[in-house]
Amino acid sequence: MNTDIHRLLDDAFAGVEMTPAAQDLKEEIRANIAAQVDELVAAGASAAEAAQRAIAELGDVRTLLDDEPAEAVRSLGWEALTARNRVRPKPGFVVRTVLLSLLATAALVGILLVVLLVHPAAPLAVAALGAVVAIALGIVTADALLQETTTNHPLPAARAIGFGLATGGTLLALGLGGGFALALDQLWLVSLAAVLLAGSLALFSYLGATQTNRHKAWTRGAITQMPPNRFETDPESAARFGIYTAVIWFLTLAAIVVLVFTVGWWWAPVAFVGGLAAMMLLLARMLFAPRSGDRR
Amino acid sequence: MNDDAFSADLLRGHTDTIVLGMLRGGDRYGFEIYKTIRDATGGDHEIKEATLYATYRRLEKDGLVESYWGDETQGGRRKYYRITDAGRAVYRRNVAAWVATRRVIDTLLDAKD
Repeated sequence: MNTDIHRLLDDAFAGVEMTPAAQDLKEEIRANIAAQVDELVAAGASAAEAAQRAIAELGDVRTLLDDEPAEAVRSLGWEALTARNRVRPKPGFVVRTVLLSLLATAALVGILLVVLLVHPAAPLAVAALGAVVAIALGIVTADALLQETTTNHPLPAARAIGFGLATGGTLLALGLGGGFALALDQLWLVSLAAVLLAGSLALFSYLGATQTNRHKAWTRGAITQMPPNRFETDPESAARFGIYTAVIWFLTLAAIVVLVFTVGWWWAPVAFVGGLAAMMLLLARMLFAPRSGDRR
Repeated sequence: MNDDAFSADLLRGHTDTIVLGMLRGGDRYGFEIYKTIRDATGGDHEIKEATLYATYRRLEKDGLVESYWGDETQGGRRKYYRITDAGRAVYRRNVAAWVATRRVIDTLLDAKD
């Protein structure tokens, strides 16, 4: 091991305040210099000479550590920055999304009608309509991820298509599972659903594990300029919100159970809608209400 | 000597894009990137290492690359850089801008290959 590198590197960083960033840079340079010295030595230079040359080429390390202040971010608020960087959605994308969402909604209504009105049960019709929903929403997902937005860069095409496939696969698995619920002798439906679901979950996990940043550079400094919301400035109300949430859903679940065993299962969604409404009201009251201390 | 300075300036103006393009093929550490650029230019007008360190810091601050330490035991741990989705998008945009600009400059300078 060439010890000259360490001595010369210490000399180069002499007098530099050892912040974590400076320490980081020093370690990075150390490994790079070591590789460069190996190359120079292989080309015939002596170890000491090679280390000298590699460090000399580096120049003054202090210039590498001067961080220019993000002036634009500090002088402008979040709203001004958003307006300046605004990206309008492409009309074609909006039209495609609306049409595909309408198609998916129509197919969902179709599923409901088939389940309620068609006797004997038609599992294949449910599965086919489920496939329409899955394909439409899968395309909507991939399409949305391929769009540049005000805060995000578009995803690379392969990853966007991956997310679309995983979404479509999950929804199709749900559709096939629904078909199976109508005809319990059609085992192939549930087998196919299980395979699809496992594949989609695997794809989702892969995409999640390999996900990297897609936010635009301007958002990174500007995030500190975002107007703070109540839960950040007042953690106690955030804790209260959590407890209220648990209470609301516990009561909703209890109401669903009571309704199912007294008046019938088709009343269960009523309790669910009630719980959701209570939840939204709570959120509006707690997150966006003026603080009591603001008005004297 | 003069054309050297001219082309070195041109090259330096695209350091960010060059580094992003290099990381598209896989994660690399500083000296690897430096060497690839030096070899590609035939060693005539290389991009200085100091310029590259500034580039890495800027790219990382903007979220276009991520860094992580390798697990080498000899000669110090290497800091590897990985391109992000944002980095890929910026790379594509910069290459498109370069292709368009090159055409304009070729026309203006009346350059023929």
